[in-house]
Amino acid sequence: MNPRISPFELEVVKSAFETIADELAIIIMRTSCSSIVRDAIDYSTALCDAGGRTLAQGATTPLHLGSFHDAMRNLVATLADTVAPGDIFIFNDPYLAAGQHLPDIYIVRPIFIGGRIEGWATTVAHQNDIGGIVPGSNSIGSTEIFQEGLRLPLLKLVDAGRENTAIWDILAANVRVPDKVIGDVKAQVAACLVGEREFAKLFARWEPARFRAACAEIHDYAERLTRAEIADIPDGVYRFENHIDGLGDDPRPIPFRVALTVRADEITVDWTGTSPEVRAGINAPMPFTHAASYAAIRSVLSPDIPNAQGFTRPIQVIAPAGSIVNPRPPAACGARGITGFRMMDCVMGALAQALPGRVPADGSGGSTLPTIGGRQDGKPFIFVETIMGAWGGSPAQDGQDAVAHLGANQSNVPVETIEADYPLRVESYGFVTDSGGPGRHRGGMAIERVFRLLADEATLTVRSDKRRFPPFGLAGGRPGSGSLNVVNPGTASERVLPVLITEPVPLRRGDVFRHVLASGGGWGDPRSRDPDLVLEDVRLGRVTPEGARRDYAVAIASGAEGLSIDAAATAALRASAGAAS
Amino acid sequence: MDAPAKLKIAADIGGTFTDIALFLPDGRLATRKLPSTPDDYARGVVTGILELATTLGLDPEAFGEVLHGCTVATNAILEHKGARTALLTTRGFRDVLELRRIRIPRLYDAHYVKPPPLAPRDLRLEITERVTADGSVLTPLDETDIDTAIDALRAARVEAVAVCFLHSYANPDHERRVGARLRAALPGVFVTLSVDVLPEIREYERSSTTVINAYVGPPVATYVRQLRDGLREAGLTGQLLVMQSSGGILDAAQVMEMPARIVECGPAAGVIGAAHVALRCGYPNVISFDMGGTTAKASLIEDGQITRTDEYEVGSGISLSSRLMKGGGYALKLPVIDISEVGAGGGSIVRLDRAGMIKVGPDSAGAVPGPACYGMGGTAPTVTDANVVLGFLNPVALADGAVRIDAALGRRALTERVAAPLGIDLAEAAWSVHVVATANMVRAVKAVSTYRGRNPADFVLLAFGGNGGVFAAELMRHLQIRRALVPAAAGVFSAVGLCVGDVQFSQSRAFLHRLDALSPAALEAAFDGLAAQVLARIEAHRDGVAIRRTAAMRYVGQAFELPIVVAGGTLDGAALEDLARRFQDEHARTYGLRLDFAVELVALDVSATLTGSTGPTSASAITIAGPDTERGRRSAYFGPTHGHADTPVIRRGALDATPRQGPLIVEDYEGTTVVPPDASAWLDAHGNIVIELAQAAP
Repeated sequence: MNPRISPFELEVVKSAFETIADELAIIIMRTSCSSIVRDAIDYSTALCDAGGRTLAQGATTPLHLGSFHDAMRNLVATLADTVAPGDIFIFNDPYLAAGQHLPDIYIVRPIFIGGRIEGWATTVAHQNDIGGIVPGSNSIGSTEIFQEGLRLPLLKLVDAGRENTAIWDILAANVRVPDKVIGDVKAQVAACLVGEREFAKLFARWEPARFRAACAEIHDYAERLTRAEIADIPDGVYRFENHIDGLGDDPRPIPFRVALTVRADEITVDWTGTSPEVRAGINAPMPFTHAASYAAIRSVLSPDIPNAQGFTRPIQVIAPAGSIVNPRPPAACGARGITGFRMMDCVMGALAQALPGRVPADGSGGSTLPTIGGRQDGKPFIFVETIMGAWGGSPAQDGQDAVAHLGANQSNVPVETIEADYPLRVESYGFVTDSGGPGRHRGGMAIERVFRLLADEATLTVRSDKRRFPPFGLAGGRPGSGSLNVVNPGTASERVLPVLITEPVPLRRGDVFRHVLASGGGWGDPRSRDPDLVLEDVRLGRVTPEGARRDYAVAIASGAEGLSIDAAATAALRASAGAAS
Repeated sequence: MDAPAKLKIAADIGGTFTDIALFLPDGRLATRKLPSTPDDYARGVVTGILELATTLGLDPEAFGEVLHGCTVATNAILEHKGARTALLTTRGFRDVLELRRIRIPRLYDAHYVKPPPLAPRDLRLEITERVTADGSVLTPLDETDIDTAIDALRAARVEAVAVCFLHSYANPDHERRVGARLRAALPGVFVTLSVDVLPEIREYERSSTTVINAYVGPPVATYVRQLRDGLREAGLTGQLLVMQSSGGILDAAQVMEMPARIVECGPAAGVIGAAHVALRCGYPNVISFDMGGTTAKASLIEDGQITRTDEYEVGSGISLSSRLMKGGGYALKLPVIDISEVGAGGGSIVRLDRAGMIKVGPDSAGAVPGPACYGMGGTAPTVTDANVVLGFLNPVALADGAVRIDAALGRRALTERVAAPLGIDLAEAAWSVHVVATANMVRAVKAVSTYRGRNPADFVLLAFGGNGGVFAAELMRHLQIRRALVPAAAGVFSAVGLCVGDVQFSQSRAFLHRLDALSPAALEAAFDGLAAQVLARIEAHRDGVAIRRTAAMRYVGQAFELPIVVAGGTLDGAALEDLARRFQDEHARTYGLRLDFAVELVALDVSATLTGSTGPTSASAITIAGPDTERGRRSAYFGPTHGHADTPVIRRGALDATPRQGPLIVEDYEGTTVVPPDASAWLDAHGNIVIELAQAAP
């Protein structure tokens, strides 16, 4: 039987695992070479127990939550007998190795102590490039995984201490920027070795049976906490439907349908009715659907729940095989991020019915991953960045401006760094006036970033979202503004790009790319917004006087003392609005 | 000594107390603790200094220097009471300050609220101009835009203006021209340029730092003037010096120009004190551990050098160790001592979460109502209540009677909220709190040690603050640290640190060059330029300046740098090769990774220190007069392994150089030190209590 673990022993060991998982994350952040990893923090680290179950995950990317669950389950089930001390595994394939999509390379190290596996140090990082038909390997237009780059099944990068140099060679030969990819994978390896060392130090302080019992108790603890939180959600079936705009010039919307069944202390997330898989790179393999569903549920539970795999036990995820959220090989999935963010937003829409006082209106969505790649002075360059975002208004407050989607706590890349490192100029970067979804609590503002290409030529891809189906409002709040991508705006060669570009867009020297994100949806009737808050928005240039009148029925007067509210005119506007509605 | 040397006296102002410390010519230390006077901080400082002087029979004119640490800059930010601040930016980029870096400080937190920008959007004005990354001018500066801006700033009655243009680190001309125009047109307005504050790449961090400098500029200037006047009126005519967040001391007049440099001076002073004690006692490698009422702070001292960082956010609250999470506060990219902080202090509240786990902090009962056992209305159990229950803290009174303790209230709070719900006995509950609090502190220590490839077991723990000595032994156990020191005056240690700090100033600049394409002469010239700037900031009348040159280096492609010291003397090709080698070694040591990539320099830093200018030069002990008697015995609980033990309670002075086996409790005026049964303690020649564990326990 397991020895009983006291609450304080549990806290001590849980805290120790979390500290180590963060340490791994810091090593990768500080030593990696590509902006997608070092600046955007698009990677994750974890420590797992002997069975490969996640004990603690570094505080990086929520949508990677659960990214180790399926991958490690598969690895342990497939290779348990062949794992040897000194091994390091490498893989990326969603179908062959339960990975996420090809750019996400896993580096995994078994931790042997006294000849027995006691745990695993695991990392996954989004590589700058993994080959395939577009720079950055995020093609929406690809129709099969074979077009998306190098596929790595479960392989030993290091086999019992002996490096398999062929894998490095194959990797270097298949990616556009081998220096960055090799550098980042080496950073992952270094992090895993530190994870092994620190794990062993922790283990040495425990009696082995007690240590293993404490690992088991971490899962049980996470489960108990999750169940207690779910029990607070009223029982019921909550449904929500939402759409991705369509692929390229194809106007057919792609439906997402979720049914959330809350019963006592368990939740089922059922995606039945969601679009069949598509001939494009936005299919989300099942491991990612798990991760997105978990991350969304977690966003309404206490942030104190540890990222130990036990928290998933009360959550069941159902996704029909052959759907966009559980595609069959060889469906393409390079740009599946967009589908993951949309799944999270959908679950939040359903949760808003269950918890109307807690859930905000819809936000701008996840990062749009603008990618510009080409050659400069004979050398390849690939600029990729995660750019976000606006939150919807919530029952408590206005939507936050310029914040990451809850699914991906990622950073922008500094303008000065972009201009120093790439043949690009950023012409402007700021908020779009009058963009936030009107509401009693306004949605966060849209962000606009304008790039100019300084190299002779390059291609552009962008994983945009939410134009025809903009971020939804709640409780009478209006939707946010939609996204927009334009090449050479205001010129004879102006070209508005489809929401989801299926073909890379060629750019030439001097071309301008204007990238506008969606804004946040509003919460509550905008005509009930405090006129003083509307005035403040006008003062700060977030809302124009015309917008104040149109969207909020507030009349702003301008006099010698500056801006003020025209109380009489506002009362009249609001009275007629009330009569009209 | 010919004439009696002028004395140095230090005043450290905290939220609750003002601490005064003074080294006497014979090396003894005198201290005083009195309540702060927030309506006029100078009053408390003057009162404290004069009281101490009177007690010691000293004339106010005996003090040649008044050293100071204060919270005025921090509080201006935390309470949003800084100047009405404007920001001028390159056209198209006025929102950089508010867009920040997008990340939020806590995962899954849908209720996060972004801190409001210190320069509001209507006071962020755009100027037509553009410099590129290589410093060439793409769009000339539009003078008429400046005219328009000046009119707007005047109309808005701003008190401070920050200027931050893109790539100004590469070519500051536009910023300088705008700065000159603003200063001429807006007398009395605090004007600050990003190139003067932080001439480095990354526009958000540079903007934020420059805006902070502007925002705290007017309140710091007012404060320093008031303090200086108050001191003069009291006959304290010595030079007023202020500690910076980096630990260096600087003349108050200089500080008024760069007020953002003093934001974190309080915690810095403690580390400086720790470094001083460590060095004098012959311990080059020390982890300083400062535990007070609300937080515990750790910092690393290696080879006698404190470690600094410039990745810092003001007002981000207390993060549980994670250095990954950004966005909670305001980015301030200036040299600050690398201190990690967790919300585990004596007042940290203990609770059970919904799954029956004991949680300690980060919420704190603060000074009011304080721990339950203070009897001031607090009902939530705290770390201090647990330590009273364990018998570690005096069950009647702390600080020689200054704080009364009602142990029954502490027992009741812990019983009701922890022991009874968990069905465990009270002692076990209290012990659990002690250990969980220690686990939080372990995170703080690991964040400055293992996170940088350093093993805490290779360091000596220097524990101070009111609660440092209570937790030292348990912390040693968790980190396999063999030896801990609890210095004298541990409860006013920041004031001690001020006394022993060096006059020091540093300046950095961007310097993006690949090492393999860099000429030694170019590097030398860049360092010389910085050195000239730095020397101009510290006074010329003292002799003996030590210059330390540092290069921030990384592998090409990385985004984070490691500081590598560049040896003095003329640089040549061999020196650069040596630099590359030392960078690679440090990278391997810190991250366990050696790459065959090219190496580049990103920024340079020059720090000048006036040597021999500070600190008691005699080797005599830091001691405080006081009764050195045994104070009795009480029962204390040391966990399931050692159980309850009848424990002698003594004064520090009752210890001597002979190791005394635990259990033992040492009660000083400023703090308590706990020596468990499997440890021993003695007093070293410098007045430190030295604790050693019998073995690296499980």
